[in-house]
Amino acid sequence: MGGFTVLQLLFYLSLLVFVIAMIMKALKISNMPLHLRWDLYPIPHEKGKAKYGGSYFEETDWWIKPKEISIANEIKEMGKEIIFVHSLMQNNRPLWVFSFPFHFGMYLLIGFVVMLALGAILEISGTTVSAASASGLVVIVHYLTVVLGIAGWILASFGALGLLLSRMFNGDLRKVSVRADYFNLVLLLAIFAIGLVSCFAFDTPNADLRGFVGSLISFEPAGVLPIATAIQLWLMAILLVYLPFTHMAHFLGKYFTYHKVRWEDAANLRGNKIEAAVKEGLDYQINWSASHIKSGGTWAEAATEESSKDE
Amino acid sequence: MSDDKTTIKHFCHKPGQLVTLDPAKFLPLPPPFDKPELEPKMKPLSDEGRKKYECDLDSIITVKFPRPETEEEKRELVEKFLSGLKKLFEKENNWTFLQPLFLTMEFCAKCQTCSDACPVYNESGKVDIYRPTYRSDILRRLYKTYVKKGGKFFAKISGDNIEATWTMVARLMELSYRCTICRRCAQTCPIGADNGLVTRELRKIFSQEMGINLDPLHKKGSVVQLAVGSSTGMNPAAYLDNIEFLEEEVEERTDMKFKWPMDKAGAEILLIHNAGEFLAWPENPEAFAIIFEAAGIDYTLSSELVGYDSVNYGVWYDDVQFAKVALKHAEAAKKLGVKKIVLAECGHAHKALTVIADRVLAGEYNIPRESSMTLLREIVMSGRLKLDASRNDDITTTMHDPCNMVRLMGIVQPQRDVLKAVSNNFREMTPHGVYNYCCGGGSGFAITQDANFPDWRQNVSGRAKMRQILNVFQDIIGPEHKKYVCAPCSNCKGALRDMFASYGLFEKCNVLYGGLVELVVNAMTEIDKPFIEWEWH
Ligand code: SF4
Ligand code: SF4
Repeated sequence: MGGFTVLQLLFYLSLLVFVIAMIMKALKISNMPLHLRWDLYPIPHEKGKAKYGGSYFEETDWWIKPKEISIANEIKEMGKEIIFVHSLMQNNRPLWVFSFPFHFGMYLLIGFVVMLALGAILEISGTTVSAASASGLVVIVHYLTVVLGIAGWILASFGALGLLLSRMFNGDLRKVSVRADYFNLVLLLAIFAIGLVSCFAFDTPNADLRGFVGSLISFEPAGVLPIATAIQLWLMAILLVYLPFTHMAHFLGKYFTYHKVRWEDAANLRGNKIEAAVKEGLDYQINWSASHIKSGGTWAEAATEESSKDE
Repeated sequence: MSDDKTTIKHFCHKPGQLVTLDPAKFLPLPPPFDKPELEPKMKPLSDEGRKKYECDLDSIITVKFPRPETEEEKRELVEKFLSGLKKLFEKENNWTFLQPLFLTMEFCAKCQTCSDACPVYNESGKVDIYRPTYRSDILRRLYKTYVKKGGKFFAKISGDNIEATWTMVARLMELSYRCTICRRCAQTCPIGADNGLVTRELRKIFSQEMGINLDPLHKKGSVVQLAVGSSTGMNPAAYLDNIEFLEEEVEERTDMKFKWPMDKAGAEILLIHNAGEFLAWPENPEAFAIIFEAAGIDYTLSSELVGYDSVNYGVWYDDVQFAKVALKHAEAAKKLGVKKIVLAECGHAHKALTVIADRVLAGEYNIPRESSMTLLREIVMSGRLKLDASRNDDITTTMHDPCNMVRLMGIVQPQRDVLKAVSNNFREMTPHGVYNYCCGGGSGFAITQDANFPDWRQNVSGRAKMRQILNVFQDIIGPEHKKYVCAPCSNCKGALRDMFASYGLFEKCNVLYGGLVELVVNAMTEIDKPFIEWEWH
């Protein structure tokens, strides 16, 4: 323990905060009561109807007919959205030009980190990761690390820079932006740009990072890092702690906005889970102050109150 | 107007009128309304109105809230607002929409993609306060400053802080009535955030906590409906009289003499109309009666309190009023022992009772609900009616998609199948279906006739629809061609009626609006006289 660097300790801590904060956020949202329906069409799992935005409400006696669901179509739409940021491509092309490389670059960087971890495990077990290795698998890990790293740093830096400049110079975006919005992008751009520059400025940029990842995995003291890499890792640690508390956690939020609101079309049928949740909601205490609301009792009581004396 | 005068700081602190609308900046319309002088005028608010009511947003009035006289009054109102704000984020008080609201508050990436989709913002010439995220940004800042733990400190650091002043609250109150809740913005949001929802949640703070809402929605709307039976003020006895009158009128118009089934216990279907139809467009319920009679449908109407008026205005401003009305609808159906409720041509009633109330009605109140569009398609396709589409050949038709029924429920095709079966000259607007534009009367705007608000609706919120209508008929826009905008929704028809009248669209271009069933009956061969009375509109 004594040999751990401050950076290492900080990284453990920030990873812990990140994971716990994200789990808590996810739990907070998913534990919220079942809300009233607020569907928005098209809903892609509506088999045969999604292409024009139709729903099962287009059928007579829809509640007794089997619901025709296309999971494949829903997955296809999700894939388009996750990989290509499709809705932005359709509706806001000037921003998508930066947002797509920004997000795609980050996906590549996640792959890069996975490769670093894989390489670190190989090295811990005594195999040196290099292009000259006799093992095909090791060579693949080496080259994938190089390619994912360079492509990821380039795309993410380009995207972050573009998004930052758009926010600064596009009047519509500037007027809705606050300090935190610029800070987020500057922080990300700094991390990506250091990664990009390191690729060309240092002899063994990936080996340095792999060494650090390896030290985290093996709980061994980390070696000495180039100053730029150390700064980059410090910034990443800050990002990990900070991100769950900002709108940047929208990768989590989007699961809920799409699957629990827009596309959530499960009907309340007698005796099903939804009916039980509805009854629970109606049992909550209501405490609004307007005179037309009977406060202090349950929602069910407020909703069935005789209304002639309402103001 | 320049943007720097409408920052959030200005919104919270700058005294006087924040924005002056400039009709010259509204998006131009196609011929014959391509000259601004042909458009309806925006009347300025009277000095008296300006003095009496809070109108410092854009000098348009919907809420008609009297200006508080003392600082103490203002302080109390702000405190009440903040107490409502907190309740909006409490599980018990807002279980109904807490999750979607929280998601929108937490994850909006401020990309402004939603702005391009908003008809109000774009048609107004991009008036910044009408931008979909403008009101969301205010609510988000309020949430971050006053609701979240350590809010004041963290919001200040991030730059998301806001100061709740009466100036801000009063403007926000009006601003929550400058959005039709059409949710086009939400459709394009890559994150899935929903600025339409934010509008409704803001209205809820005002209504559920402060008792501030629009008279046509609340005092003259849901309150009257719950007490008297219908938001039109028509009690059950007057309703029954009305039905008798309509039975006679059907006989006169069609030579078909039959009783409309009323309170028939054990019928398969309870059909509920928007009661506004009986007074404003009686030909619509008449056409339903004719079709159901001719097709031998086992149905009934109800004369039970609320059971004969499908409107549920709570869907636009108040969860409790919403739940009260939905339960009354279900109660009427339960009493009659019907197998299902069918909603006639009213979009918001469709969404309210079928979709949103789905999580309010439990146990024996959970009686299946379905759209008349699907039932009509079944009737028309089954061949039970003798139809000749050529009887509508002198009319070119188009379909207006009510947001509530289409984008928010996914009922897109049935009404088109019916319309195509009875009209050989049908054409689609661009865009249509789930990507349609609102009629301009959404979220209660169609029934809000106070002060200068109708001018705003005609010129701003309805403008995109007006453009679509003019464009779809542009090659036959002259008065020599009969054109029909089929709008299977009472609320949309109300908005179109007022908009057509203010532009003189019928007189200048011979464009009529109406429901779907009227066209069906017009095509029925067993009826001699044309059912649609073109000159009477
Ligand atoms: S609501 Fe959605 S589209 Fe609009 S700014 Fe926020 S993230 Fe972008
Ligand atoms: S709901 Fe409709 S009117 Fe309201 S902000 Fe969104 S697009 Fe504009």
